[in-house]
Amino acid sequence: MMSKYQHLYVVIEHEDGMPVPVSLEMLGEARRLMDGFNKKYSSDEKVVAVVLGHNVRKLCEELIFYGADAVIYADSPELQYRRNLIDTKVISQIARSREVAAKFSDTSEFVKPRYMFFGADSIGRHLSSTVLAELESGLASDINKLVIEDLEIKHEHKTKGQAMKYEKTLEMYRPDFSGFLWTTILCLDNRNPAIEREYHPQACSIIPGVFAPIEPDKSRRGVIVEYVPEFDERDLQVRILDRKIVKSAVDFDSHKAVVSFGKGIKDSPEQNIKLISEFAKEIEAEVGISLPISKKPFPVSQGINSTYMIPDRVIGTSGRKVAPLLYIAVGISGAMQHIAGMKESGFTVAINPDENSPIKDECDIFIRGRMEDVIPLLLEELRKQRPTIEVKK
Amino acid sequence: MATTTKDLNVAVIVKLEPDFSEGNVSYNADGTLNRAETKSILGPHSAIASNAAFYAKVKYGARVAVGTMGPPIAESALQQAQLLCDADELHLYSDRIFAGADTLATAEVLKAGISKVEGGGKVDIVFSGHRASDGETGQTGPQTAWKLGYTFLGNVIDYDVDLQSGLVRAKRLISLQGFYDIIEEVEAPLPVFISIDPSYKAFFNTVSQRLAFEKYQKEAKSRAENYKQFLKVLNTQQLGIDPKLVGLPGSPTIVYKVERIPKAKASRKAEVIDGTNRDQIARVVANMYEVLEGMVIK
Repeated sequence: MMSKYQHLYVVIEHEDGMPVPVSLEMLGEARRLMDGFNKKYSSDEKVVAVVLGHNVRKLCEELIFYGADAVIYADSPELQYRRNLIDTKVISQIARSREVAAKFSDTSEFVKPRYMFFGADSIGRHLSSTVLAELESGLASDINKLVIEDLEIKHEHKTKGQAMKYEKTLEMYRPDFSGFLWTTILCLDNRNPAIEREYHPQACSIIPGVFAPIEPDKSRRGVIVEYVPEFDERDLQVRILDRKIVKSAVDFDSHKAVVSFGKGIKDSPEQNIKLISEFAKEIEAEVGISLPISKKPFPVSQGINSTYMIPDRVIGTSGRKVAPLLYIAVGISGAMQHIAGMKESGFTVAINPDENSPIKDECDIFIRGRMEDVIPLLLEELRKQRPTIEVKK
Repeated sequence: MATTTKDLNVAVIVKLEPDFSEGNVSYNADGTLNRAETKSILGPHSAIASNAAFYAKVKYGARVAVGTMGPPIAESALQQAQLLCDADELHLYSDRIFAGADTLATAEVLKAGISKVEGGGKVDIVFSGHRASDGETGQTGPQTAWKLGYTFLGNVIDYDVDLQSGLVRAKRLISLQGFYDIIEEVEAPLPVFISIDPSYKAFFNTVSQRLAFEKYQKEAKSRAENYKQFLKVLNTQQLGIDPKLVGLPGSPTIVYKVERIPKAKASRKAEVIDGTNRDQIARVVANMYEVLEGMVIK
């Protein structure tokens, strides 16, 4: 029996044909999910990559090696750079196209995709929102775990309080801002007769750096379908005048060490940040922070505030992912989101008075103590042991 | 004075959020937010969006409206926003049936609200914050834009309006993980919906702008003291909304469960060191230098 809703569509992001890492990560997770799905339901639903751009044919082939069964692409000079308005329209046209889906599946009943994935970054976060507003369905953001299940749901509105079975439901797990709670979001049809309505696709944006891409396999075969979009002249009045690549003032990549701090600075924020920055300077480290610090929870002087308590320095799923040779976490408890941003680091040291902090399971050395006591000792030792062979001028 | 320039109408959508600043925020023993004990304020990103609207007032003499969806206490967010942007009109979209709305159902209310803004014409620019600091989805702004049929411009760090041509020029900051950042300059015809990046800062360069800034800031203070005079509270009926499209009935998504994130399996076996023991600290420092060896030119 064919369904109105089929397949998992993954919206790919790229820069001039180079896929952004989250795109390949999404394809990997899509592959794993749909392999399980097809086995469980004895079906043959596809992982479908959707690509907008200009001269993207080579990228399409690559996406098949990374797990796509089919790639739908729209190629036009008008699509070289991302513009939310036309991108939303083209992606929505593609999602609704029975003709396109017919190139890789039996689509006699096809209306829309069953599931849809986007990357949770500056492009995908907004694009997912507008596409799902256009497709009039549900969207969960910043997901880091996905499960497909048959669920029995009893809901005041969705089912009018009756227990009903929802098959092939995508459980979308989303860590909350504290990093301690996981919320599972479902996108469900309204089956309550008073408000009856179908909601598909079930869609989400996925946190970069969470899922693993599959090993690319050049022997994988798939279908590549071109979609020729129709543009509304008025929409093309949105024009990109200029694009500049910028380097952040915060540079984690070229430093061998990173010192980051969290809410543990609270007893004397100003002094502690100064102490940490002195420590970082001593080992030529870049300074990072945990997400709560970027919300500026402590009053500090303007200079400290604008230098350190800024989103650019956040390490974790809401910020940068780092992997220095030496990582030092000062007064950071180790919420999951932070760990995701630093777990690839080399030698890792934590300074924390609480031995029950989750960070203890993520470090090589756990220095139990208050930063106010520990860092001055470290500084003293660093200066004492500083290698005697210096650069001679 | 004869003038060909058209008037500019702007609106800001804001949110009342938990105050994450020290002394106001309260956490439960398990690290989760204690909502009952935590105060609420105008969200920090909403405040930045209000500043962006104030820029339009100072620079273009724009008429400013502020709207929020929420229970009666959300009034305080409107008052705080008015103080920042000298709003001419405040809207509270409040109805028991709005409760439990996901982003799509919230966008439906905000769309209806924006279309109720007075001031003799359509709203040209709607501003919203980057994302709420509690919900953090960042979806409500773009979804409201789409429902309004406005061009959505996200992560905007700077903007200017050409009133003659009706074009907006904006700079956007694009960050893609694992890639460089990009600053993009984009031009779009009004109306537009702008979500303001956290790094936005308004600059007032000319003398006349600084004078206007002071004048409107003063006005904002006295208006905010009497904010109720500017306030309109609108329910489903007054907004002319189909009740099936808002609140829980209008939400495609539900929260199925909330659980504590299980403790990850220890990925490393930490050696615990006493932070007051000089010998142990000396050994850690030796380890650090070993790791960083490449730093020293030999």
